[in-house]
Amino acid sequence: MVAEASQRVNPIRRGGVAASPAAAGLGGPGLYLALPTYVIVVVLAVAPLALLVFWSFWRYDPATYWIKPDLSFDAYQTIVSSGRLAVIIKTARIAVTTTALALVLAYPIAYFMHRLAGARLRMLLSLLFLVPFFTSYIVRTFAWRLILGRLGLVNTALQALGVIQRPVEWLLFDEFAVQVGLLASYLPFMIFPILLSMTRIEGSVLEASEDLGASAWQTLRHVVIPLTTPGIFAGSLFVFVMALGSSVEVQFLGGAAESMIAIMITDVMRVLNFPLAFAISTLVLALLILLLVIGNRYLGLSELFRSVSR
Amino acid sequence: MDNLYDHPSNISRRQFLKLLGVGGLSLGLGGIELLRRPGLSAAQQKQTVQLTFWASGTMTIEQYWQKLEQQEGIKVNFTDNGNDPGPVISKLIFGNAQQLYDVGGLQGGAEKELAVRGQLEPWDESKIPNYKTLWPWARDIPYIRYQGKLYGIPTVINADSVIYLPEKVGKVDTYAVVFDPKLKGKTAMEDAWINSAIFTAIYLKENNLQKIGNPGNLTKDELGAVMEFLIKKKKDGQFRTFWNGWEQGVQLVTSQEVWAMTGWEPIVYAARRAGVKADYAVPKEGYEGWSNDLLLFKGAGQRGRKDAAHRFANWELGGYYGNALGKLRGYMVPTDNNVTYAKAHPQEWPMQEQKDLADHVKSKFFSMKGAIYWQNVRPDNFQLYEEWWQKLRNA
Amino acid sequence: MTTAQPAADSSRRRQWARRLLLIYAVGVLLFVYVPPTYMLLISFNPGLLPHLPSLSHLSVKWYSILFSEERMIAAFKASVVTGIATALITTVLAVLASLAYLRSVNRSLLFNTVVFPMFVPGVIQGLSLAIVFKLPNIIPSLWTITAGHILWALPFAFIVILTSMSALRGSLIEAAQDLGASNWQTFRDIIFPLVSPGITSAALFAFLLSFNEYSRAYFLVGGQDTLPIYMFGAMNAGTSPTIYALAGTILIVSFLGIGAALLALNVRQRRAA
Repeated sequence: MVAEASQRVNPIRRGGVAASPAAAGLGGPGLYLALPTYVIVVVLAVAPLALLVFWSFWRYDPATYWIKPDLSFDAYQTIVSSGRLAVIIKTARIAVTTTALALVLAYPIAYFMHRLAGARLRMLLSLLFLVPFFTSYIVRTFAWRLILGRLGLVNTALQALGVIQRPVEWLLFDEFAVQVGLLASYLPFMIFPILLSMTRIEGSVLEASEDLGASAWQTLRHVVIPLTTPGIFAGSLFVFVMALGSSVEVQFLGGAAESMIAIMITDVMRVLNFPLAFAISTLVLALLILLLVIGNRYLGLSELFRSVSR
Repeated sequence: MDNLYDHPSNISRRQFLKLLGVGGLSLGLGGIELLRRPGLSAAQQKQTVQLTFWASGTMTIEQYWQKLEQQEGIKVNFTDNGNDPGPVISKLIFGNAQQLYDVGGLQGGAEKELAVRGQLEPWDESKIPNYKTLWPWARDIPYIRYQGKLYGIPTVINADSVIYLPEKVGKVDTYAVVFDPKLKGKTAMEDAWINSAIFTAIYLKENNLQKIGNPGNLTKDELGAVMEFLIKKKKDGQFRTFWNGWEQGVQLVTSQEVWAMTGWEPIVYAARRAGVKADYAVPKEGYEGWSNDLLLFKGAGQRGRKDAAHRFANWELGGYYGNALGKLRGYMVPTDNNVTYAKAHPQEWPMQEQKDLADHVKSKFFSMKGAIYWQNVRPDNFQLYEEWWQKLRNA
Repeated sequence: MTTAQPAADSSRRRQWARRLLLIYAVGVLLFVYVPPTYMLLISFNPGLLPHLPSLSHLSVKWYSILFSEERMIAAFKASVVTGIATALITTVLAVLASLAYLRSVNRSLLFNTVVFPMFVPGVIQGLSLAIVFKLPNIIPSLWTITAGHILWALPFAFIVILTSMSALRGSLIEAAQDLGASNWQTFRDIIFPLVSPGITSAALFAFLLSFNEYSRAYFLVGGQDTLPIYMFGAMNAGTSPTIYALAGTILIVSFLGIGAALLALNVRQRRAA
């Protein structure tokens, strides 16, 4: 019974029941509104990147220390043959883990802030979660070295409490520390989109669910979570993209010479191997666009934000 | 009768104009007087030139640049360029760095590349009389010239080895300490193949573990051997981490995260200032020498600042700059002018300190082997270096 | 069992859940706050080491010379200005784009286009923009940096506003239009008030993303560094603990601001009561 009720309020299904523009109640062409954005993105982002994609097929010329138009797939072959792909995969893996952890950590907070906290507490918590971002994230990430290190806060506290005799080594300079740094950096980017999407849930729906005999857990699973799908998608996208492109956390908190995509691209550009750098970024871009396109087709991601409630 | 009071118009036109002229001139002079800054002569006032200096952070002397303004009428606008040839050349070509900066300062080795790409103009030695005072072996550094022309003036020179905590590891006089299995997880190296490859190569060569010609310019096979060694060490868990940048390096030492690491000498001074006992090794294998060179960008010529740039370079070799560098960072300019200047201006600089510093640096270059191993940011196989470093990253 | 019992049970369970979740939220908040608080404490250590000060050696030494760090303060101001410009322009663009999203049939194309810049690695985006600006000989400045930041912040702002708009009810808009409201009136009186938390969030996000962005600004920076560029350089070349004093100042000012905002809210609530 609960499932039926949730289906009525959650019409987002595969393929999408496209609410017609008329049903959305708005007329008029949306094109003019979107035109400035289209122009800006195409001129500033798409067009120059197309140039870079083109240059990724050129070759490096050691005589002139530059690239020359000698069309080849060399750069792309190098990605596979010299361990570059491994970095892309590793970065993606870390990004996925960070996103999953962030989602699990953030959702209860957003739920609490929306449902169980008064307006003042909600605003207070919102502001508190935002404030650290006004300080430099480089200094914040550096501080984790001081907190997790051998003589750091955590070790000193644990030793003072008698929990350990000697400092714990694995707190810092490995993936654990990187994960901690990434989460601390990007958690609010998951909290706020989910919180925003929770405004979609009307009290009446939750009451209805309760009246129908659903436990809190069932309500959560069948009503709340499906209704906040746009927020979940938004937050996950944000954290994933930011973790994927991050470099500071790994550089400051990772093990010996650990790498991420951003670090690799900078490394490669440092030795003027622009074709390889452009090839790497083209590949990453292509993979992400592919994911987006697949998501659009099979999960209706781009349709996710339609206002569907009546 | 013409009366000045009744008829102002009776002042003859010529008198009036004269009045105006004198008044205007005095106003003008007075105006210039108002804008006058203390310390500069009138002639120099009119010539104050702005020079944008895009260089490694080690090359700026902060508040001491004022002296240059006083002595030469050149105001330096310093920006840190990260001391990295890749981004520097990228910004020069892809960006508008040529339009922004006049003089550059970069670690030695990239002169040829920048010259080939047409980003530099050669220095005119005749306009830099102090160039002759540079120590001979500094003027002999191979990479500062390209096709016979001087492109880089080595203004900061030092030689690196190992920073260590004597209370933890005793006295260190070899690079082996960084690779010592007994110190697993307690050593570090810099996350830069430029430095770490040459250190490892020096270690392997001098301890007869590997046949290597020039550690600063490894052949394909030598590079492979060196990197394989390093990769194995990383896989064995030898390194706590690799450090990236000054703050990270200092923090590793002062927080005792590592007990020995290859790095820059000023880190030792910083650690000591902060109360940590740290020492710099005098390695039996020999030091690794480097220089930060002054470069003349093409843009300076287009903006008519070539002369100012040459005067700037000459001033840097004149003695004051070297003293300031020594005080701020413990680095020095490879010339005896520093000591001479300090002797002549004892109220400004303590001469003995400069002399000690000069002797200390000189000793590094002549202590052990004779030939110093020069670090070169662009060895012949530099792209291969990066590929190997990527393999190290993946290990 | 009387009928009152299940209600009491559920409200007790609610209270229990509320307390638990509050503790959890505070716990996560503390986690996020450990680094900035640590920095705040370090900033009172007069020594050169980034360590916690001993209680007997607290000092505001670094704060007192904070404003003489000209380059850092200039970079801070530059970042604030760039951030505000980015936030304003990005929010306007994002609102326009999300309104278009509501109306259009081909949402995929619009969505994909706006989200596209999000997937470009930062350094590459900055480099490509630098090339674009070099052609008409645009000199790098805070404006070129703003352009790079706008590209980065726009997808975020767009999606945030969309998330907020997804709570809109079509019936409200229909009703307004049936009553004869023009598109602008509908936007001004119906959509905007309902979506304003989303728009505010979008503007805040855009500001923060711009304020913290390094790689996209790197190739676009002209004569004046932004704060992240300055910080990166400082971390590489060595800096004094005044960077901690800066972070501390920002924290203290922010907390004061929050306190003031809450007080204002209190006053307004009491006045309304």
